[in-house]
Amino acid sequence: MKKNWMALLMGIVMATLLLSACSNEGSSNEADADGGSGEAATEQVLKIGNDQEPAGLDPHKVPAHSSIRIYEKIYDSLLTFDEDMKVQPELAEKWEQPDETTYVFTLREGVKFHNGREMTAEDVKYSFERIMDEETASIAKSYFDKVESIEVVSPTEIKFTLSEPYAPFLSYVASTNAAIVAKEVVEENGDLNQAAVGTGPFKLDEWLPDNHVKLSKNEDYYKDGQPKLDGITYLTMKDESARLAAIRTGEVHVTTLSSQSIPLAEKSDGVEIKSYQSTEYSYVGFNVNKEPFNDVKVRQAISLAVDRKEVADVVWKGDAVLSGPIPESMGQWAIDVSQEELYQQNIEKAKELLAEAGYEDGFETVISTASTYTDMVDTAQLLQQQLEAIGIKAEIKQLEWGQYIDTWTNGDHDMLVGRNSSGSDPDRSIGFFFSTDGSANVWGFSDEKIDQLAEEGRTTIDPEKRVEIYNEAQKRVIEQTPNLFLVSPEKFFIVRDSVDNYSPTANEPENFNDVVIME
Amino acid sequence: MFAYILRRLLMLIPVLFGISVFIFLIMKMIPGDVVSTILGTEATDEARSQLEKQFGLNLPIYQQYLQWMGGVLTGDFGVSLRTGKPILGDIISRFGLTLELTLLSAFISWIIAIPLGIVAALKRNTSTDFGVRIISLLGVSVPNFALATLLLLVLSLAFSYYPPAGYVSLFEEPMKNLQMMVLPAFVLGTAMAGAVMRMTRSSILEVLRQDFIRTIRAKGASERIVIFNHALKNAMIPILTIIGMQIGTLLGGTVIIEQIFSLPGLGQMVLTAINQRDYPVVQGAVLFIATVFVLINLFVDVLYSYLDPRITYK
Repeated sequence: MKKNWMALLMGIVMATLLLSACSNEGSSNEADADGGSGEAATEQVLKIGNDQEPAGLDPHKVPAHSSIRIYEKIYDSLLTFDEDMKVQPELAEKWEQPDETTYVFTLREGVKFHNGREMTAEDVKYSFERIMDEETASIAKSYFDKVESIEVVSPTEIKFTLSEPYAPFLSYVASTNAAIVAKEVVEENGDLNQAAVGTGPFKLDEWLPDNHVKLSKNEDYYKDGQPKLDGITYLTMKDESARLAAIRTGEVHVTTLSSQSIPLAEKSDGVEIKSYQSTEYSYVGFNVNKEPFNDVKVRQAISLAVDRKEVADVVWKGDAVLSGPIPESMGQWAIDVSQEELYQQNIEKAKELLAEAGYEDGFETVISTASTYTDMVDTAQLLQQQLEAIGIKAEIKQLEWGQYIDTWTNGDHDMLVGRNSSGSDPDRSIGFFFSTDGSANVWGFSDEKIDQLAEEGRTTIDPEKRVEIYNEAQKRVIEQTPNLFLVSPEKFFIVRDSVDNYSPTANEPENFNDVVIME
Repeated sequence: MFAYILRRLLMLIPVLFGISVFIFLIMKMIPGDVVSTILGTEATDEARSQLEKQFGLNLPIYQQYLQWMGGVLTGDFGVSLRTGKPILGDIISRFGLTLELTLLSAFISWIIAIPLGIVAALKRNTSTDFGVRIISLLGVSVPNFALATLLLLVLSLAFSYYPPAGYVSLFEEPMKNLQMMVLPAFVLGTAMAGAVMRMTRSSILEVLRQDFIRTIRAKGASERIVIFNHALKNAMIPILTIIGMQIGTLLGGTVIIEQIFSLPGLGQMVLTAINQRDYPVVQGAVLFIATVFVLINLFVDVLYSYLDPRITYK
């Protein structure tokens, strides 16, 4: 009863405020006054509770998620992805491929940088040259190793010549890290950490480290009528209880929480949970140079001993699906792994395989993981229990993030629990992680057949043939089990009811271009 | 006196030198480096060595130290490896926040602790005294992160209140700034108050037993004059010691509270920098905090002789 009185009182106060606000703005807005809901709010600034401080804002250099979620609003790339992970036009209106190694992009006309200058083919050339320049130390450099020359044909046409057919090329062009930047801005500032001038829907206003990043609307954005918001403010709130309190009271409109806190948030009024199937998957990496993991039978035995369903249920509260090296959300590229033999838990068979490898009594080992992420620690603990059934006694080693990355890089581990993002092209999931010379093959894994399939996948342009090649490659990777692929989790956003037109998807989890904040 | 202060200031030099070497080596020794935390699982050997070269991490360690120290001595603390911002400016602007938070907390703790401490001493072994002592014990023993989380939880659920997010400085919007600061200052202040309260109580009790108090009472001074003009001033020395140490600790130690309330203070800066292995930022900030800490201790020492003329420094 008391609550109702409070609500009524608040309602009256709000209505009075609205009325006075409207009378100041003139009579045309009077309709707002009697609404209360269903009308756009006066302040169209979306506040987001960010769980990590961005680690820099240079799109060519910083791979951290806390940074990407911000700079992807500031910059555009030539291409982008649709929900099926197929490339679509963005700054390039269309593209042609006259032969297997040549790509010609036609740029959209009249696209302006935030400093008012029109974007031309020269900027595209400069951006790619910056990425490919060793001095930049760009994380995207290896994406474009096959690019031999870039030629400006006309102010709106640009031609890329590759040294050999390279199928992932277009997906890499669509990557956020291949953002088109303005030359004069880089030259003036030395780098792009303090100054950010792109063509994207939002402009950088202010970055106060450890507190907030303010973006404001780009009035000249090339998509008419977008964005609808006047701005976005990312508030760094590293503390989970602070984010929970802030979303409950409406101090922020959107935030993320760990799966433990989501039920708490769900109970509050005015809060919605929105989810999407992520392109991430959890895995266990084996050090295949080390006994006993150099024996494929041991790795297969572990795969058979593990109950992936339980991982999904316990670690992710059921909000995760089985995953192979390419998760389900990669659409056309992913295979259905639920029928794979190694995904059916079978303790007897696992023991047999272990015995064949000479470990009938099991062995002792260490599972390393990152203490920063509770899901990784939970996964490690669950695996520790599950592996006991086949006599494997595992000790868990929790590492601080910097130390974890070091361990990962140096292959300084037995088993390592982690979470990967599959990116946007299947070459990442197969070639980058598992071919003998793949940059992220830290496992010491080498398999001729996978090398061959990875190479074919890279050089075959025909999409249908590529799908076949990657189907075969996935089966081979699962059979060889250099990593144990577990599950692909759903991701959640906690969103206030007042946020309209927002629906996260795997290709664009944070697209706020159509979002409107309601009263 | 001035000779003393000068001597103490000169002693800062070897102290800071020691700290600089120590922090430099510690940062190099902790596993994980800035390059791998930047690149994460996207690291290629090429990108690694390029970044190492850019940051000067390929040089021998003594050269790295000399280069950094050379900069520091000429007032150039370098730039952050992550944000590219000059470090010294950042330290100073963040120090402003932490200083404000520290002074506010100290102020809150004094207005709670000193009157209560006096009351407890005057009403020794009564229920008032016990009440005060329980409160002060609570203040000392409830961890401030627990109190902070509890406050946020209760305020958000019961009153739907959350302090305004998005920091503004005291000079930009004083009211909004104070609204942001009052909760964290309260949390830190109550924790400080516990210790100060206990110290005030026991120190007043001790002074009250001394001869000169009896003399003052004997010549007929009112109890108010006895307490405020004579006892309190003499009792202040141990209280000041504790306050000085607390302020010094707070300047570098508000990090958890800064994190919970998302305040961009000096503590957060160091913590973020440690996690990101942003070496020059950690080194610069630690040197700065150490300097301030030593200066506060010096200031407190000088205050002693003002409060108690028997204390002199030669």
